[in-house]
Amino acid sequence: MADTSREYDEAALQRLLTEDAALGEQGIEVTRREGVVVLTGCVESEARRDQVARRVADCLPGHEVRNDIVVVPVAAPTDPEAIP
Amino acid sequence: MIRVAAVGDVHMDSDLLGRYRPALERLPERADVLLLAGDLTRHGSTEEARSVAQEFGDLGVPVVAVLGNHDHHCDEADAVVGVLEKAGVTVLEGEGVVMEFEGGRLGVAGTKGFGGGFAGRCASAFGEREIKQFVRHTEETADRLGTALRGLECDVRVALTHYAPVPDTLVGEPPEIYPFLGSYLLGQAIDSAPTDLAVHGHAHFGSERGRTPGGVRVRNVAHPVIRQAYSIFHLGTSSNDEDS
Repeated sequence: MADTSREYDEAALQRLLTEDAALGEQGIEVTRREGVVVLTGCVESEARRDQVARRVADCLPGHEVRNDIVVVPVAAPTDPEAIP
Repeated sequence: MIRVAAVGDVHMDSDLLGRYRPALERLPERADVLLLAGDLTRHGSTEEARSVAQEFGDLGVPVVAVLGNHDHHCDEADAVVGVLEKAGVTVLEGEGVVMEFEGGRLGVAGTKGFGGGFAGRCASAFGEREIKQFVRHTEETADRLGTALRGLECDVRVALTHYAPVPDTLVGEPPEIYPFLGSYLLGQAIDSAPTDLAVHGHAHFGSERGRTPGGVRVRNVAHPVIRQAYSIFHLGTSSNDEDS
């Protein structure tokens, strides 16, 4: 029987990032290859970014977690857009 | 001219208190009103709603919001609305509000909206009860949005939703999940009235600009998309800018 655990693990992890009561993140992409997990997407704080990475590391022991999640800037806008 | 500021998907909780305030301090100099396009909280708890109220209350301009899917997660939506309205935030669900400014009367109609997909690739109210409920929820929100938009007596008309009314502003998201990000029925509702602008959130990996089939400009103001505290739109200008 083919080993399908990888696909199911990834699907479960993606759901966990949203459904975990402490996280609730829908904007994270998880890519796994050869022992490395790359996280991309956007969150609202560095603490939330680190929280996601810790949760993923807990779920995938033995993997290196590369955290490329970005914290979205909150600067005031510089230019308004004219809508005719 | 009426100046409209808008942002969605701020996902507030107590850990973010104060994060938006520096950019909001001078908002009255820049905008007449702030629109919040849903997903105001992480999980839709009343505690998180209090953080929204604290962060986006007392801004010196009216604040008009719709809820998003996150704001429903704890099944406390009525309480969330109560907390927000107590802080002076107007929360719309299939309703409209008209505000008088120096530049004229701004009408805003809003709904959370829902999914279902877009023309040619959309769900139908057929088969199991669950899929019919899914599609009918979208139909109901869209119907109420259209009715509210058409009923506004104003100079400038804006539609405010959480879910997307067009696929244009979803470009960047996986096409497989478009049916969970919006519905053409919302676009059809927007096109049923002389709408000047439609703003929505929800699609974090989407694109900023689009148009309905009727030509109404659509802007995805999800915070990860605009990458600033809010966007500002000047409506009722005489510019000939025909960019999408």
